[in-house]
Amino acid sequence: MIAGAVSAGPHIFWITSRAAGTAALVLSSLAVGAGLLIGSRGGALKGLGGDTKALHEALSLATLVAIAVHGVALLGDHYMHPSPLDISVPFTGAYRPFWTGIGIVAGWGLAALGLSYYARRTIGQSRWRSLHRFTALFWLLGIAHTLGAGTDATQPWFLLLIATPTIPATILLLNKLTKNADDRPRQPVSTAPEQAHPQPGRAPSHPAPARISEPSR
Amino acid sequence: MDDQRRLEAKGLARAKIRAKRRRVAMIRRRTLRGSLVLFAAVWAVVFAQLVSGNDPALSSAPKRASHGSVAATEPRPAPEPETSDEDEPALESEPQVVPEEEFAPEAEPVEEEFVEVEPEAAPEPEPEPVVTASS
Repeated sequence: MIAGAVSAGPHIFWITSRAAGTAALVLSSLAVGAGLLIGSRGGALKGLGGDTKALHEALSLATLVAIAVHGVALLGDHYMHPSPLDISVPFTGAYRPFWTGIGIVAGWGLAALGLSYYARRTIGQSRWRSLHRFTALFWLLGIAHTLGAGTDATQPWFLLLIATPTIPATILLLNKLTKNADDRPRQPVSTAPEQAHPQPGRAPSHPAPARISEPSR
Repeated sequence: MDDQRRLEAKGLARAKIRAKRRRVAMIRRRTLRGSLVLFAAVWAVVFAQLVSGNDPALSSAPKRASHGSVAATEPRPAPEPETSDEDEPALESEPQVVPEEEFAPEAEPVEEEFVEVEPEAAPEPEPEPVVTASS
């Protein structure tokens, strides 16, 4: 074992980067899953609303740290020896430029959208919310980067590890997308001021069918 | 009576806030620990893979990038875990790749120095170095 440790010494940064990348993907999948659970009303974790939010935030921050370690650790690798530009500017590196570039775009996107949470008052709550939805897109880019450029992408243990949190998160995402698609046709109908600003005491009583029936009168 | 109720309500609210903060702190701590454990576990698996020679980054016929620039798509050199010293594989591989480049520049200055020094120390055996230098 000591002999192995000696000979694997030059690869320490490479191993660290790979481990951090794997951890980043697992953590980001968990974070996306938790985020989608916050958004889904009446979800499995309904009673844990605040806790899910805290979990989502903690997982997101851990993901960003793991992404940073994933990139920065490569700077110490003597075999690839990338420059700071190679790991920060998309599609400029020598190693699988397309897939690595996608990963860099995903990393920056996740960092920007994740950290924008702390500037949501400046950005505006509704604008931030609509922007934050694109996090899922960057997460998917991260998965593509992993499968396209990942050294361990063909290893069964690795596929099992990333599939465990990724598949449920993907199902939740698809569920949300299909729900949004179903809800979309109703939205332009409810444009009346009563619906836009409902009275606090009144319960919204089936707005869509009422509006649809109006034009036929 | 109302004041007492208010105080009780305030106390209850504070207790709830405190409990929530405690829960949030616990979630953060657990997430941090979990993340570190995950990272360490993956690190250990990748390390074990590399040491045992089953790493996908290692090729069946490893090639060294001898010209400095990294061949981007080529697999990395194997760490060769069975050997105990790092120097041994280098010594084994170097004579195959390097000898012509490395020994040639070293040999030339030795001959030049020999030619320059010998005429001063012993002027008589001059012809011999001249013959060796020309050859």
